[in-house]
Amino acid sequence: MKGLKSRQLPLTIGLILATIFVVLPLGSAAEFSLREPLKNTHGFDNYVWFFEAPDFAKYLGISFGLALASALILLVILVPTVVWLNLGGSKFRGLVEFISLLPLVIPVVALAIGAQTALPDFAQTNEVILAFMYAVLAVPYAYRTMDTGLRSIPLQTIVEAARGLGADWLAVLFKVIIPVIRSTVLSALFMTLALSLGEFTITSLLHWDTFTTWVTTMSQSNILGAIALSVFSLVSVFVLLLVISVFIKPTKSLIISEEN
Amino acid sequence: MSSTTLSLKSVSRRFKDTIALDSLDLDVAQGELVSLLGPSGCGKTTALRIIAGLDKPDAGHVLVGGKDVSQLPPNKRNMGMVFQSYSLFPNLTAAENVAFGLAMRNEPKRLRVQRSQELLELVGLPKHAKRFPHQLSGGQQQRVALARALAFEPDVLLLDEPLSALDAQVRANLRDEIRALQIKTGTTTIFVTHDQEEAMAMSDRVAVMHQGKISQIAKPDELYHYPANEFVAGFVGQMNRIPARVEGQKLVIADSIANLHPLSPLQGGDGLALVRPESVNVETLRESKDVSNAVVVSRAFLGPMSKVVLSLQDGSEISSVMTSSKSNDFSSGDAVRVSVAPGSYLMVGA
Repeated sequence: MKGLKSRQLPLTIGLILATIFVVLPLGSAAEFSLREPLKNTHGFDNYVWFFEAPDFAKYLGISFGLALASALILLVILVPTVVWLNLGGSKFRGLVEFISLLPLVIPVVALAIGAQTALPDFAQTNEVILAFMYAVLAVPYAYRTMDTGLRSIPLQTIVEAARGLGADWLAVLFKVIIPVIRSTVLSALFMTLALSLGEFTITSLLHWDTFTTWVTTMSQSNILGAIALSVFSLVSVFVLLLVISVFIKPTKSLIISEEN
Repeated sequence: MSSTTLSLKSVSRRFKDTIALDSLDLDVAQGELVSLLGPSGCGKTTALRIIAGLDKPDAGHVLVGGKDVSQLPPNKRNMGMVFQSYSLFPNLTAAENVAFGLAMRNEPKRLRVQRSQELLELVGLPKHAKRFPHQLSGGQQQRVALARALAFEPDVLLLDEPLSALDAQVRANLRDEIRALQIKTGTTTIFVTHDQEEAMAMSDRVAVMHQGKISQIAKPDELYHYPANEFVAGFVGQMNRIPARVEGQKLVIADSIANLHPLSPLQGGDGLALVRPESVNVETLRESKDVSNAVVVSRAFLGPMSKVVLSLQDGSEISSVMTSSKSNDFSSGDAVRVSVAPGSYLMVGA
């Protein structure tokens, strides 16, 4: 019992410190954002201010749209790649890992300027380009999350078992692979969404306007409003991820649960 | 029951420079359980994967019920397979796993529910239908895998070292259960293993594989008592190599006269006879005229039986297995008389 306590103590202290580290600034920011200095009281004026700002909904929409698009792009590229790596393409794992690390090694500025100069005009005149850039930035994190998740599943044997049980390749994909890797893919998607929603550098360098650049502009005229905006975006991303994780539960299998 | 015969005709498979299967022939009768036994790399798993359609042979044919299925993909072969690593679908419950094969055959839901329940009862897990694989023990998972492989009444059941990942007690129980179930369903079965005890205990016939070929295929007792060659003799059970010579038509081993096995690699002269420990008789010297030809080196208690290690006059060591009560007559250093039980033995070069 004593041993257990002595082991729990550092953990408890760590947790308390971490909580203070996260909660204290967040709480302070929230408190600050609720201040109304003219009335010398607390209220939601600062929140009302940005909600009523003319471009709030527009830029929020753009950012969410881009985040979803980048998540989709990453899904299309990474899922087949990682599944293939785990189904016999493992000798290319080193190469793929190296490529997946490049976005961490190459400075974001270089990436942005490179994209600006190398991409054809039609690609530069559409903000969808940002979704591709965000996807590139998210690759190191998303790839690792997916690969680690899939490596913990004996995917090859499972696929072989399904084939042996009479499943054709379509059934293998939709009834075995996708349901099995769903939670892993979702974790990777969360990461991409969070990263895309908060991305500022590339957006700003390429002269596009999204929610993050709009927040920066707005903060120059109203510091309290800017803090309120920051708290709002932080909480909304958190809520979004929570909602996704709660609502996208494993679907009920159709094997014996529903009439054919 | 849809069980049928299975044949491999001159099946060959090569991986780069390694020959995994070398013109392999095998015929399995309807309802028979044949084990493919052999050391790692002997080609047994490759043979199983080729039967299942998970690998393609470079040459040769796989026939099920006389029909060539060599070109069919695995999902068209109607074979049930159980893997070493359980391989249950982690997102499906035990019952859903069992019903998977039926779902792939578009069987109606009622039948799926009924069959999965029947099969789970058959493997002793009727109350675990709604559990997910991670909520089951290794033995339970393998039972579900077995139920899943049998649910759609496969033509052939393929077992790829299904007991290797389990602990000893579960392993012994499940071994008997699999055999009982196989006899009950009458499913033609191929069982791949490197464990000779498992192969002996479960099989109608055992095929000992070596370097991509079947070294010998026979009933377990036949394989044990009459190994066809040195490899089988050495791989299956323990074997003494006792100095011997051929005199006329007879074999002289440790002062005993025995028969020379007709398949013996060495048919004349001096060599080593391959003799099982239980065929080595050890006697104490009762009368003064008895001449000792061996000395007891050590005695190991194995429960009902004991193993006595002896040193022959030429210095070579052999072992004898006898009842533990008899072994009490001997202690280290005793001069004894060794003889070999009548029988026919293989003789190999010294």
